[in-house]
Amino acid sequence: MEERKIKKMDDNEMEECDMGSDEDYYNDPDPDVTHTDNDKDPESFEYKILEVVEVEMLLNTSVETMCKTIDVSPSLAKLLLHNYSWNTQKIEAEYRQNPEQLLINGKIKPSKIAKGVSRKNECIVCAQEVDTLLGVECRHRFCETCWCQHFEVQILNGVSTAIGCMGTDCTVLMPEDFVLSILRCRNQSKLSQQYQELTFRSYVSNHPELLYCPGPNCTAVIQAKAKEAKRVDCKKCKTTFCFKCGIDYHAPADCDTIKKWLIKCADDSETANYISAHTKDCPKCQVCIEKDGGCNHMKCKKCGHDFCWMCLGDWSAHGSEYYECSKYKENPNIANESEHAQAREALKKYLFYFERWANHDNSLRKEKDKMKEIAKQIEEKVTTKDGTWIDWQYLNKAGELLRRCRYTLQYTYPYAYYMLKGARKELFEYQQAQLESAVEALSYDIERAVLDSRGDIENKMDVVEKRRLTLVREFLVT
Amino acid sequence: MAGGLPRRIIKETQRLMAEPVPGIKAVPDEGNARYFHVIVEGPAESPFEGGTFKLELFLPEEYPMSAPKVRFMTKIYHPNIDKLGRICLDILKDKWSPALQIRTVLLSIQALLSAPNPDDPLENDVAEQWKVNEAQAIATAKQWTKMYATRG
Ligand SMILES: [Zn+2]
Ligand SMILES: [Zn+2]
Ligand SMILES: [Zn+2]
Ligand SMILES: [Zn+2]
Ligand SMILES: [Zn+2]
Ligand SMILES: [Zn+2]
Repeated sequence: MEERKIKKMDDNEMEECDMGSDEDYYNDPDPDVTHTDNDKDPESFEYKILEVVEVEMLLNTSVETMCKTIDVSPSLAKLLLHNYSWNTQKIEAEYRQNPEQLLINGKIKPSKIAKGVSRKNECIVCAQEVDTLLGVECRHRFCETCWCQHFEVQILNGVSTAIGCMGTDCTVLMPEDFVLSILRCRNQSKLSQQYQELTFRSYVSNHPELLYCPGPNCTAVIQAKAKEAKRVDCKKCKTTFCFKCGIDYHAPADCDTIKKWLIKCADDSETANYISAHTKDCPKCQVCIEKDGGCNHMKCKKCGHDFCWMCLGDWSAHGSEYYECSKYKENPNIANESEHAQAREALKKYLFYFERWANHDNSLRKEKDKMKEIAKQIEEKVTTKDGTWIDWQYLNKAGELLRRCRYTLQYTYPYAYYMLKGARKELFEYQQAQLESAVEALSYDIERAVLDSRGDIENKMDVVEKRRLTLVREFLVT
Repeated sequence: MAGGLPRRIIKETQRLMAEPVPGIKAVPDEGNARYFHVIVEGPAESPFEGGTFKLELFLPEEYPMSAPKVRFMTKIYHPNIDKLGRICLDILKDKWSPALQIRTVLLSIQALLSAPNPDDPLENDVAEQWKVNEAQAIATAKQWTKMYATRG
């Protein structure tokens, strides 16, 4: 694989100076340069981050359309839309075919009309005589107190759009205006507030174009044309997640693979616990070494030996085309072995992938700390006139890129774990090894960076991002 | 108890005493009118025939907006009843409606004894046994009925 060396930039090129002289540089026609490749980026994806008010407007537009086309109240239109996952076209089509059936499927009308349920004015739920009994389309009638208590129990259990009628076997759901009017009559303003928040959440979660940001306490709602497994970066809370399944973004693995993997990890957490060591012994001089950075290329402070934190092998074997640390070597004869040996092999295989998955996760956290440390050092250096702030910006960019690449690398492990043997897996493992070796090389350099390292580091940045994109382009199913 | 007993509970209790469900006895506790001591006779032609099963039934504060809590006290071998006596019955969970009554719940439990439903199980081992070898499961259920549900 050929890597193009980018031209070494003079430091003053980045400063505010005559941009004209840089034209040749920026017009570099090399098609490999990543920033000109955006349209081919398999992860790029169009989405909007909406505020609550904007979401309300979006939902209301659908409600208004519905009210006009099929002549129902806004409250019933909402119920209908919710039960049809906001698919206005489907509702209109069914309305043209059979309006009665549409209202039954939409849980507005009952599938069978209740027989004369209430004799006189007795509410059968509380067994009291009352002046008025209330209800909706299904003709089940109950007193205001009972309805209110029913709503209270449901709302406190987190139920909102799914609150049903109190009648036995009744399929009808309670429209918003009925619930709100009862709560208003009983002065339940707090409950009413809670109900409205719950229904709003429920509408959003049933909407094919909307997804709540899963970030802690974040209220942002993401809107995109379809629920695709693409990366969303929430600008409000900085969470990165998958638009399809809503959990942490996981390319190149798909939603099902990552779900399966996370369940497996949770189930086997006991088994996996013993491997999470923070210290290991130097394989040459046996001195105890603590891992303080994210980089897995370790250098023993005592004897200077270069080794790999993951496999404890010599690092020199990791820096070349023969990088094999990421590849699990299965026993080729395993099919003929005893059941016992097969179980042991299965566990060994899982632990191999789990250990690497967990280790990259750990490295991501350590590198985040490292970048904070580096930012502090940069500030100190700038104040002591060791370069300008702009001179050092490259290092922040390098840290950001490293994070993105290691993140993808972490998710290559569950992907590889579930891959079947064959040519595809071999290609995947080759590209994974290439990416891992480039990630560790960049991480090693960043931890030791000086002003002069800029050229080298920018070179490595170019290499690592190219390798990441090559892998994602090849293996991410879109 | 604050606020006294709701009229609905009083009426249900009165009716349960005046016209009891055949094969079922439900008596409110002397100290707590929301707690019922229940005895269900094993239905005829079921593996539970000849047994008398003790249950407890409790009406929570939100009753009838929430379902009663019911539990078997007598050990029973049944695919929809677990070791702790908890019952897997839709009307005690998501299919509960405030218009249902203690009477309907007890009738449903009696019906569940007549027709065990291993496809909607609670106790996995028992349900499995019921599906794999029904004859054996029925024999075990009869044996348990004799052992635990017949007064010696
Ligand atoms: Zn009532
Ligand atoms: Zn109804
Ligand atoms: Zn967010
Ligand atoms: Zn996903
Ligand atoms: Zn050493
Ligand atoms: Zn290694």
